[in-house]
Amino acid sequence: MSPVAFKSAVDDHVVEELRAIIGDDARVRPDQSSRAFRSRVPAPFPVHRWAEHYPDVVILPKTAIEVSEVVKLANRHKIPIVPRAGGTGLSDGAVPLRGGIMIDCKLMNQIHEIDLVDRTVTVGPGINMLKLNEELKQHGVIYPDDPASYPCSLVGGRIGTGGWSLLGARYGHTRDLVISMEVVLPTGEIVEIAEGGGRKLRKSSTGLTLKQLFTGHQGTLGITTQATLELVPRPEVEFAAFFAFDEYIKAWETTGILTKSGLATIAGVVLFDEKKIEYLRRDDEAYIPQPDTVNAVVAVAMYGRRCEVEPASKEIMRLGKSNTGKYLGDEISAGDWASRHDRYATPLHGRDLDGQAVLMSWHCEDAALNYSVLPQVREEWHAIVARYRERYGIFDDWGMFAYTSGAHKPWADYLVEIDVGIWEQKLNDEYWAAWVDCKREIAQVSLKYGGSITACHGATREGDADLVPEEMGSAWPVVKAIKRALDPNNVMNPGKQSLDEAYE
Amino acid sequence: MTIFRLGEQTPPPPRRITDTVVERLEHQYEVDPDLMQITPQQDMPVWDSRRIFNARWDHLDWMHAHFADEVLLAGEESETMEEHP
Ligand SMILES: Cc1cc2nc3c(=O)[nH]c(=O)nc-3n(C[C@H](O)[C@H](O)[C@H](O)COP(=O)(O)OP(=O)(O)OC[C@H]3O[C@@H](n4cnc5c(N)ncnc54)[C@H](O)[C@@H]3O)c2cc1C
Repeated sequence: MSPVAFKSAVDDHVVEELRAIIGDDARVRPDQSSRAFRSRVPAPFPVHRWAEHYPDVVILPKTAIEVSEVVKLANRHKIPIVPRAGGTGLSDGAVPLRGGIMIDCKLMNQIHEIDLVDRTVTVGPGINMLKLNEELKQHGVIYPDDPASYPCSLVGGRIGTGGWSLLGARYGHTRDLVISMEVVLPTGEIVEIAEGGGRKLRKSSTGLTLKQLFTGHQGTLGITTQATLELVPRPEVEFAAFFAFDEYIKAWETTGILTKSGLATIAGVVLFDEKKIEYLRRDDEAYIPQPDTVNAVVAVAMYGRRCEVEPASKEIMRLGKSNTGKYLGDEISAGDWASRHDRYATPLHGRDLDGQAVLMSWHCEDAALNYSVLPQVREEWHAIVARYRERYGIFDDWGMFAYTSGAHKPWADYLVEIDVGIWEQKLNDEYWAAWVDCKREIAQVSLKYGGSITACHGATREGDADLVPEEMGSAWPVVKAIKRALDPNNVMNPGKQSLDEAYE
Repeated sequence: MTIFRLGEQTPPPPRRITDTVVERLEHQYEVDPDLMQITPQQDMPVWDSRRIFNARWDHLDWMHAHFADEVLLAGEESETMEEHP
């Protein structure tokens, strides 16, 4: 059995059918620029093969019915469908691998209902969290899904990736904050997906817990057309403290001390390693004047009521300094925390082997790893990147951080990131293949240490996708059976996560 | 109408901060121009650099207010900058 959707199926006849469904030519876009703009994401991209990633046509639906009709058409003609929200995903989830119809959900950006009694907000997948929270502020509530891409990613993409939030230790991550959703399946049916039944229920034991299945599938199992989300009380206060260390291991130990402190208002703890500080020292105004003794940094942030956070902040100051940590001061602590959405990873320039500044794009490895293995993984990852940098001269090591990743449980799980700059203008087939090999080696280290390739971006990029069967292990046949059952013609974001194997 | 002349808005000569970083305007750091041979720098008038710099503070204030009603500070000086004022 190999009903793999293929590219050339979108012809003029299909475009006419799409126009008939949508009834508004401005929302059916076969033109080159509409397609080109939606063919890549901010992750490293084979720019020398750009056009191979164009969708054939872009649709901007406004309702679930429109999405459903387009999906039915695609399924009938076996045309690939690629859902796209903000297009900020860092693992190519929204990059078409076989052309087809791109469903851009940006126009589905309505707030349908704010329920202040049962504390939910129901929205379309095209809304952005920043815009949503501007609206919610007047009601004294917040939707606390706070990725570093907060100003630009959208709820649909957060669900598609199973995103990770900077405030996850306090409020949970995307999957903990989505209560239920409406989904268009790969065959076009519109279904309600929740824990069990009950659109506004956080916990149910009826049937199977489908909500988790439909979070983080990278658009391979359907398209979310509406979501009911958690509302939490807007925090009275925010507190952040940054501590410097002369060596990584002391910083790592302090991270353990802080995360195991039992302080419930901790929203996140971050550990920056020596390479990250080296990188910040060349490119970040807060770190440039710091003395040489600053080699690793631990940052903590807390949110909540003043009566909780104020006394807890004193304990954070004590614990942060208990193992040689030095406070970086109020200005850096508050300011760097407020810059959490735009710092550390994205200056979009790096250095060539002679130290010259060159424009680079950003690879953000996002493994999920346990606390105990962080020092070892750090050494192995840096060694891999150094080897490729030395050999090819188009890569740059922008350092690593480890960030608490367990929802409401900051003590053991970390999102571990190594940021790698890639000089895209130099890419050709040889260099791209080298990058994919480098990427794969990095991911293999995570697996070796009992980790997961990805804590939030998804294993959809080259170099990751082929390791998905290995990571899933004995559960891989279950994954394939689910994919095949829900998407019999492999139309939904085909080619991603090795899921083509479901049809072999 | 104000006429803009770059000549009147040229930043002062750079002061070296580290091996790879220089400073022309207070607290505004730049990559050493010697390391910007492949990626040429644009001439930035002083007012434009200042505008970007000040907008940064506006942005940070906005971000604080967006997520919480109040920012709590430890009320302590930097212990690292004390060593190297
Ligand atoms: C500067 C920067 C910082 C970032 N920081 C973080 C971070 O802190 N945490 C984090 O988790 N991520 C982060 N990311 C990655 C990215 O923002 C997230 O993965 C985000 O969830 C993607 O959302 P999006 O709206 O851009 O989705 P897209 O990139 O458009 O899509 C992501 C995936 O979801 C699928 N999808 C899109 N819409 C739907 C839908 N309606 N139904 C089903 N599937 C859909 C797509 O097919 C794709 O596979 C960052 C990215 C950048 C550029």
